[in-house]
Amino acid sequence: MENKYRLNIPRLNVLARDQLEQIHLSTLEVLRRTGVAVKEPKAVEILKKGGCYVKAERVRFPSNLVERALRNTPPRIGMCDRSGQPAMFLEENNVYFGTGSDTPNVVDPYTGKRRTSVLKDIENVSRVVDFLDEISFVMCSGIASDVNPKISDVYHFEAMVNHTEKPIVFTAWNLENLKTIISLAEAVAGGEEKLKNSPFVALYTEPISPLTLAEESTQKLMFMAEKSLPVVFTPAVITGATGPVTLAGGLIQGNAEILAGYVLANLINEGAPFIYGGGVTSMDMATSTLCYASAEFMLATSALTDLARYYRLPMFSFAGCSDSNTYDQQASLEGALWTLLSSLNGGNLVHDVGYINNGLTTSFEQLVVSNDVIGLVRRICSGIEVNEETMTLDLIDEIGPGGEYLTSDHTLRHFKENWYPELISRVPYDRWEKEDKKDLGTKARDRAKYILENHTPQPLEKKLKAELRKIAESRDR
Amino acid sequence: MEILEEIAAEIEKGDPASVPALTEKALSQDISAQDILNKGLVAGMDTISERFKKGEIFIPEVLIAAKAMKAGMEIIKPLLAESKVEAKGKVVIGTVKGDLHDIGKNIVAMLLEGSGYEVIDLGNDVPKEKFLEQVEKERANVLGMSALLTTTMTYMREVIESLEKAGLKQKVKVIIGGAPLTYSFAEQIKADGYAPDAASAVDLVKDLLNQ
Ligand code: B1M
Repeated sequence: MENKYRLNIPRLNVLARDQLEQIHLSTLEVLRRTGVAVKEPKAVEILKKGGCYVKAERVRFPSNLVERALRNTPPRIGMCDRSGQPAMFLEENNVYFGTGSDTPNVVDPYTGKRRTSVLKDIENVSRVVDFLDEISFVMCSGIASDVNPKISDVYHFEAMVNHTEKPIVFTAWNLENLKTIISLAEAVAGGEEKLKNSPFVALYTEPISPLTLAEESTQKLMFMAEKSLPVVFTPAVITGATGPVTLAGGLIQGNAEILAGYVLANLINEGAPFIYGGGVTSMDMATSTLCYASAEFMLATSALTDLARYYRLPMFSFAGCSDSNTYDQQASLEGALWTLLSSLNGGNLVHDVGYINNGLTTSFEQLVVSNDVIGLVRRICSGIEVNEETMTLDLIDEIGPGGEYLTSDHTLRHFKENWYPELISRVPYDRWEKEDKKDLGTKARDRAKYILENHTPQPLEKKLKAELRKIAESRDR
Repeated sequence: MEILEEIAAEIEKGDPASVPALTEKALSQDISAQDILNKGLVAGMDTISERFKKGEIFIPEVLIAAKAMKAGMEIIKPLLAESKVEAKGKVVIGTVKGDLHDIGKNIVAMLLEGSGYEVIDLGNDVPKEKFLEQVEKERANVLGMSALLTTTMTYMREVIESLEKAGLKQKVKVIIGGAPLTYSFAEQIKADGYAPDAASAVDLVKDLLNQ
């Protein structure tokens, strides 16, 4: 696997060691003193057997139990592509980017208008992801409004797996649908064992803030733990609404929710491939919108990444997303800030690239521009090589004061190591004026259309494709 | 009349602690419960709503004012009932079955309460039987449903159909809201109204009940 995914500069911390300890110990305190409501009786039973104190659905966690479970964290979770080849090593300082899931709307790349998402959009996003070098995994982006809503999640998965070879992070409406999706994935991988050994899928599920493990989402978590398949357990603490308004309190609550899920998964299957992370975000108290790009959300995500590192768990992070209602200057600046920060922090599975309109709309422009931004940020994160060849003391001496470097062999040897954008423009003014005068948004839309018209992902084998259709169809009642 | 202005001012300040005592004081000055309601409590909340709509104040400030208003309401409620003053209206509200998103619904419920409506909040994941039962039992004027999922919004249609079957549809105004919903969806499922945000939900209820 290429080294380009690795953060080669010192990782950015936003929590000092002592603050991490305080947040960790306070989390243990919340889990012990307040506990968590667990709405799935089987989970309550398992937690009770594991040593938790249980009173009806309220489960309190002894601190040593949590500490013991945290000794089993999987330091690396490997995810493969559709063909079973290693594609992502989710571990300290490896950063991979992907799209988000389930936006009710999409900006149509042809009309430029916002409309309800349909299945075709999910196929299209998957194709674009398949094409883009810097996007490593796919989430469905839109939510299909033109299929049976009871099993739209199954359709989403089928659309993704048919249109990209890259790893898939998916959502499922309930346990039944999850089982169907996993049977699709197993068919693709070539059986249950093969999927387990070379997983190309991870489930996204979540606790409900404050401090609740809901019935269905917990069933899904348990199923993935039993199967030993990767699962992301990501809360949405909205500070001031579903959690304390101060970030430290929000982080402690969110951490308690994640660790409650982690302990459960670990009791079911020691060392289960559990992915930490998620959202401690804020609400705009003037408009009541949930922010996808507030300063507080970015800062809290960085802090959660610090906690993930502290626990040696992979981090599910955010990038390339925006609150702007359209693809515009705001969308690209918010997307870029996220991308830089999540990279400097070393988040691992970094999602929501392409979100605008605070998570309610998918934008192809935002996705393809983010691909450029990620490239740029990767160059920053690859750091500076310092050795004899790069320090060039002899060359400096040879050329000396007043010379030039354009014609030196050394320049020729190395200039291609600089990073070059695809969409970001550096052409001189006169040429730009003469050629097309296109701004970034226009070029982004052209690029998206180009990909849609020219890129054909490696298709699934015909027989397999038909088999998937049959499995999905059997659920379409 | 000064005391009523004082009540309104305390509500605008958002002081739930001082409003009950001022309400008692107004009563002791022989001001009617209805005047206290309209010229004190509601007047204060009207200013608050205006300022919120203009972006001058924020949700937590509105909600604390609503709390202050409610504290005053508690005191005059029995008197209003006695004097047979029509309450502003009763709203049964909830997030529909299968859906656990409740923040938006909570804000709508609190703002309605702050505007003087009686609100019965059924929480989230509410099945149609419960909506029906509560609408009937409480003789609600308005049924409010919230949904944030494409998979659960269709359930609203089922609730409305059950209302029709039970002969309740004419007796109650149905309003809906939540991120993926639209005006045209409301029309399709025969809801009486749709509100894109909490402040418009309050206006919508006002309009529907004034018709
Ligand atoms: C009665 O009259 C009225 C009138 C007006 C009404 C009204 C009623 N109700 C609302 N309004 C209106 O007034 C309010 C105030 O102005 C507004 O309310 P809102 O609720 O819109 O606004 C709130 C004040 C703030 N906004 C919110 O609270 C919602 C924010 C987002 C990020 C969101 C959150 C926080 C959550 N989520 Co979920 N979630 C998303 C949301 C994306 C988004 N930006 O909306 C959305 C809605 N979620 C989604 C999904 C898919 C899911 N979520 C899920 C879970 C969750 C959390 C539990 C983590 C959490 C909810 C916590 C809680 N206690 O509510 C899952 C479902 C769980 C379930 N069974 O309900 C899950 C299915 C994910 C999964 N596969 O596990 C997407 C829905 C897609 C779709 N159309 O179906 C989604 C758009 C995000 C996304 N892009 O993926 C107006 O809509």
